[in-house]
Amino acid sequence: MVALQGTRPFVSGYRPEFGYGPLQSSKLVFARFSVGNNAVKNLGLCRGGDVRLRSSRIIIKAMEESATFLTKDCSVISGKDLQMMLGNEKSTNIVWHKSSVDKIDRQELLQQKGCVIWITGLSGSGKSTLACALSRCLHSRGKLTYILDGDNVRHGLNRDLGFKAEDRAENIRRIGEVAKLFADAGVICIASLISPYRKDRDGCRALLPDGDFIEVFMDMPLQVCEARDPKGLYKFARAGKIKGFTGIDDPYEPPLNCEIVLKQKGDNCASPCNMAETVIRYLEEKGYLRA
Amino acid sequence: MNAVGIKPLPGFATLRDGYLPGNAKARSVLRITAADGLQQAVRVDVNATGNGKAKLDTLKPNGSPLGSILANGFTSNGKNQSPLSRIGNSTNIKWHECSIDKIDRQNLLNQKGCVIWITGLSGSGKSTVACHLSKILTQMGKLTYILDGDNLRHGLNSDLSFKAEDRAENIRRVGEVAKLFSDAGVICIACLISPYRRDREACRKILPNGDFIEVFMDVPLGVCESRDPKGLYKLARAGKIKGFTGIDDPYEPPVNCEITLKCDNGIYASPSAMAEKVICYLEYNGYLQA
Repeated sequence: MVALQGTRPFVSGYRPEFGYGPLQSSKLVFARFSVGNNAVKNLGLCRGGDVRLRSSRIIIKAMEESATFLTKDCSVISGKDLQMMLGNEKSTNIVWHKSSVDKIDRQELLQQKGCVIWITGLSGSGKSTLACALSRCLHSRGKLTYILDGDNVRHGLNRDLGFKAEDRAENIRRIGEVAKLFADAGVICIASLISPYRKDRDGCRALLPDGDFIEVFMDMPLQVCEARDPKGLYKFARAGKIKGFTGIDDPYEPPLNCEIVLKQKGDNCASPCNMAETVIRYLEEKGYLRA
Repeated sequence: MNAVGIKPLPGFATLRDGYLPGNAKARSVLRITAADGLQQAVRVDVNATGNGKAKLDTLKPNGSPLGSILANGFTSNGKNQSPLSRIGNSTNIKWHECSIDKIDRQNLLNQKGCVIWITGLSGSGKSTVACHLSKILTQMGKLTYILDGDNLRHGLNSDLSFKAEDRAENIRRVGEVAKLFSDAGVICIACLISPYRRDREACRKILPNGDFIEVFMDVPLGVCESRDPKGLYKLARAGKIKGFTGIDDPYEPPVNCEITLKCDNGIYASPSAMAEKVICYLEYNGYLQA
């Protein structure tokens, strides 16, 4: 009988074959379980006996070198031998899901779930403004966010890219990959960039687990954006000084099936704060604002 | 040189979009973060009509000016006069400031963002120490994230090979991403061989002073090779991999890194003990509080 004491309950649906008892909390131990009809799998325990067992995947946590391996018949294998055993394990049933466990830890620390809010729309449609408002509102609720603004990232990571079609695609690909890392870190990552081509946006969507890519379309008419012209770019584009400017002489492909559409109602445009609240309601409903 | 991204020093006037507030002091000193991450002091002289000219001074460590370059002038007529800049190949881009900044995030997380850059030969234990470090810090309630060189080559850097220029680009991109994480308030742990001093120094330069913490896994080639956790030394010795660091490509150890992790009279500290050493450094230098 292996002695275990969990600080958290097992996920329901599993009945380990072993009972509970005091655990030497300073060591990391392993226990071998038979789970249902499946082959024998390994279960990792961290200090203090915190046990995690999730669906049909067993998660092996990082172990101390002094870890001991307790088998069902209580024979003890040292940590070094354990590593060799795992190294030789050809079975695909044993998978190191280190990242899954770490992600859960981070979510619990932050009391939120990481995701990517991808704000797309014409230049001047209000993407950066919405991103800032969203970030402020979420921060005031104690949530950690980070903005990846297309222009800002072009000052650093993407400084080697221009505005040719293939560079735009690469710009979006890299931002998608970075946003994915932030989401994995538990951050609510807000990407705001024109991202005019559907194929590129869908490529980023495909990088993330289902539901974690939240596409927000700033549905503002071209005339409204051009009237704002916050950076004076429409003026340059109309004068022919910029070529391939989205909306003027380069297409914008609106999303066909995005999670949130923010549009102008009649002559009035909702304030950035109201728009931010719409996004926040979505996040709340989908459970991103809790662990 | 274009000024992009203006952050006022505490107590000084705020510059937003090139427009000076009415109560701007006649002379203010602001810190400008230039596009390539260097920070310099900018002295702003405001005349009676409220127009201003910014003079860019590079400061010596003791605060006296080294030389000066005239930055773009601007007026305070209330309109957005901030110039669009050109950075690298990107034209007509403008830095967007947001009211939530690094300090706000650090206060939320009760830590300071930084980059722990773990460098060393293959098999020296970089990923192992990174994991232990991350685990312990998470247990302490700190937010960390590991950027592992191998993992990134599956995603962001999947378009890069192992040729010299691609290695440099690999490291540049990891450095830029690590900088973003650090700005987000995260304790970012980057672990990659990163064999060339020049590339590591370039990453150091893009981060604010002190936020780049270089950790050298000082493990002899013989030990790394005997571990050979991925079987790569064997392949390299058999000539099946070319340009493998340590075998037929050089590793340039750091000359001035923050932390060196090495063995003591032939005995290697455990990964946890090594991680603890890094954590002591973080604690001592104030990274584990806002």
